[in-house]
Amino acid sequence: MKLNYLFPNKYKKIGWLIFIPSAIIGLTTLIFEFEPNSLDFNIPAIFIDELFGDKHFIGIVNNNILNEILGVLIILSSLLVAFSKEESEDEYISKIRLESLVWAVYLNYAILLISFLFIFDMSFLWVMIFNMFTILLFFIIRFNWQISKLKKSARYEE
Amino acid sequence: MKNSIKVERAKKNITQADLAILAKVSRQTINAMELGKYVPSTVLSLRLAQIFEVEISEIFTLEDSDWV
Repeated sequence: MKLNYLFPNKYKKIGWLIFIPSAIIGLTTLIFEFEPNSLDFNIPAIFIDELFGDKHFIGIVNNNILNEILGVLIILSSLLVAFSKEESEDEYISKIRLESLVWAVYLNYAILLISFLFIFDMSFLWVMIFNMFTILLFFIIRFNWQISKLKKSARYEE
Repeated sequence: MKNSIKVERAKKNITQADLAILAKVSRQTINAMELGKYVPSTVLSLRLAQIFEVEISEIFTLEDSDWV
């Protein structure tokens, strides 16, 4: 009955503290293609498809790991922000949570469909990069907006 | 579905905040129920009935639109 797959409330704040800086840094490094040499490493890979080389399974590639680090931080922190309990997580909040999640999935796929049909080649790669994060981002925006609207409307009643 | 939470609350002379604590939900949820914006679960409905010491059917009444 109490099972709801959510994190405790305190993780929401931790999530925001990690999410905001890593999103800003991530966006900046993406735009300026910043890849410091100190973060070039030989790391294991499952699929390898080199530009002018062979394709094979399992091996070692040389890669700049800055984008991996930031991507992981953004995904994990936005999961914390999205799925930590509210201070008073009750059944009504759960309903708003579910509705916001459905809404975010619809919006995300609507944008993806349009992009899929009208954006091509390297531009579409940018769409895919952003698409990794947008579903959670749309959910976070919509859910928090609904909650703040709710708090505001409840303040004036009684 | 109509409900008489506000009336029952007035009878007991408790605020939305008091009722929220008793029913273990947020004040926003009590407010949304009173405004008819949220239909509570069976568990919450039974809790409210117990708090107000009335039958559940005295708090909640079906409307025609609930059959559509």
